[in-house]
Amino acid sequence: MVEFEVNSPVIEAVGLKKEFSVSEQGKGFAGAVKALFSTKKRIVRAVDGVGFSIQPGEFVGYAGENGAGKSTTIKILTGILVPSAGTATVRGVVPYRDRKANAANIGVVFGQRTQLWWDLPTSDSFEMLRAIYRIKRGDYADMMKKLSDVLDLGPLMSVPVRKLSLGQRMKCDIAASLIHRPKVLFLDEPTIGLDVVAKENIRQFLGEINRTEGTTIILTTHDMNDIERLCARLIILDKGRVIYDGLTEGLRQRFGHEKVLEVEFDGRSPAKTALPNLEIVAENGSKISFKYLEDGRSGGLAAIIGKLAADFPVKDILVREPSVEVIIRSIYEKTVSLPPYDGQK
Amino acid sequence: MDTLKIYAAMALASLRARLEYKVAFFAFLFAVIFFYLAQLGALLVVMVRFKEINGWDMGQMAFLFGLLTFSQGFAALFFNGLANFDRMLIGGEFDRTLVRPLSPLAQIIVSKFEVSTVAHGIIGSVALYYGAKLSGIHWTFWKAAALPAVIFGGVLIQGGIRLAVTAVAFWTLKNESLVHTVVFSGKEFVVYPITIYNDGIRFFLTFIFPLAFVNFYPAQYFLDKRGETLFHPALQGLTPLVGVIVFSLSLWAWKAGVDHYQSSGS
Repeated sequence: MVEFEVNSPVIEAVGLKKEFSVSEQGKGFAGAVKALFSTKKRIVRAVDGVGFSIQPGEFVGYAGENGAGKSTTIKILTGILVPSAGTATVRGVVPYRDRKANAANIGVVFGQRTQLWWDLPTSDSFEMLRAIYRIKRGDYADMMKKLSDVLDLGPLMSVPVRKLSLGQRMKCDIAASLIHRPKVLFLDEPTIGLDVVAKENIRQFLGEINRTEGTTIILTTHDMNDIERLCARLIILDKGRVIYDGLTEGLRQRFGHEKVLEVEFDGRSPAKTALPNLEIVAENGSKISFKYLEDGRSGGLAAIIGKLAADFPVKDILVREPSVEVIIRSIYEKTVSLPPYDGQK
Repeated sequence: MDTLKIYAAMALASLRARLEYKVAFFAFLFAVIFFYLAQLGALLVVMVRFKEINGWDMGQMAFLFGLLTFSQGFAALFFNGLANFDRMLIGGEFDRTLVRPLSPLAQIIVSKFEVSTVAHGIIGSVALYYGAKLSGIHWTFWKAAALPAVIFGGVLIQGGIRLAVTAVAFWTLKNESLVHTVVFSGKEFVVYPITIYNDGIRFFLTFIFPLAFVNFYPAQYFLDKRGETLFHPALQGLTPLVGVIVFSLSLWAWKAGVDHYQSSGS
């Protein structure tokens, strides 16, 4: 867990709003032609009053469905977009007003696009970035050694970037975003499309950078495992508004009463109606997963397990907390509702 | 100075990247040379047949062509990278230039350095040399001093036009056809002395889209063609000034475009 320092926040966003005007376009070719001559515009509010404050050294997950406003917020904080209303500062710099000063303080990884020189050997990209960020030779050598030790970049250095695998490229891209030792790192979907091993490598590395360099990291991802593994704090966005801002663990505690019970039966398994408080969520041969809803009347989980074991031939029982992914999905699907967010962590 | 070094390193990197595809690089170089030789050849055929066009003989026509092509080579060297700018914008590549501590425009220019434009330079200088020789230009001190200034102005005019057209993409997102019409076809007009066109086109090429300052007006000065003043004799000396004005306006348009992009997110 990150120690919160009594210090000025490294990122401060207050009432950020961002409106886009989008031309309406109907379906198919006819719609496209019609849109060509129409001036009908629709205002879309991608970010609608987002505010948060992030302390130095925090590792924050920034989650939300597609179109919730994640990328737009990141683009404001990195200086790419100017907000329609509200203010933001990153290390005291207003990113969209003092773009270059902000750029020197931050590292940015867009998972979908590389910042490396596509046709050149990987090492050339790092040399270019050394020049661009005016890094002293000694500092550069130190950081390069550290990055390539941890990420095992050595063998990749002489290979043209276009010949790297997605996982290798992402390792290099993340290293490239850190070469100037930024105090703040923005990661937009850094694990997208990676296999399990590559994801794990990246996660380990990010955790280490956060601990050893004290880099503040903001991570947007669709993979809730990333957030569960890395982010002590989670901000959830829905329709351009913050609907949750607090400890990742806190989210689970709030929904912790919805535990999953995985039971393996030896032969005969119970009928659905035989068990109050248990709802079958998955069935896999003799293994059945139940959702256990604590309501305070049924005598708790122990009683349920006791009853199960007495009435049926139980081979194995596993009680699992719901994953953050399951919780968030249920928030999106509106099967659970969060209390209105009051701006308090 | 330090910043210049960074841009030079980026330009070198883009050159090395181009050379990764050697066949494509030399094929393009060959295509450029062939295109301009063909253009020059066609002009010569016309000149051999007609001896002169509106009072401009073969040497003078070659000089006119040389001024255009030479300055165009310089402009393309720096601004060719802007030709596919709409793709950078749509693909999100432009965002990357905004999160680096450098100017976005300078980053694009150096990342798409087009060295094959030496071809324009070579053909342009050959045409200039023989044009000047054939037409027997009487070189005074002022004329010799004016030549680099005129080339400089011509580069600014052609570069500025490219930049302005590119900036349109910030609003329309796609501008490929506009680039081809304006940048690549527009200059075909000034291969000939603009006196062959009607008043509307003369006005257009002088005051709206001032390509005539790249070669026609300064050539009048160099070739002492005082007899055929168009609009005003002072125009013959205005190329550097027009260049500075066109380029400043284009930079302003570009900056407005970046602001629009940052506020519209398109």
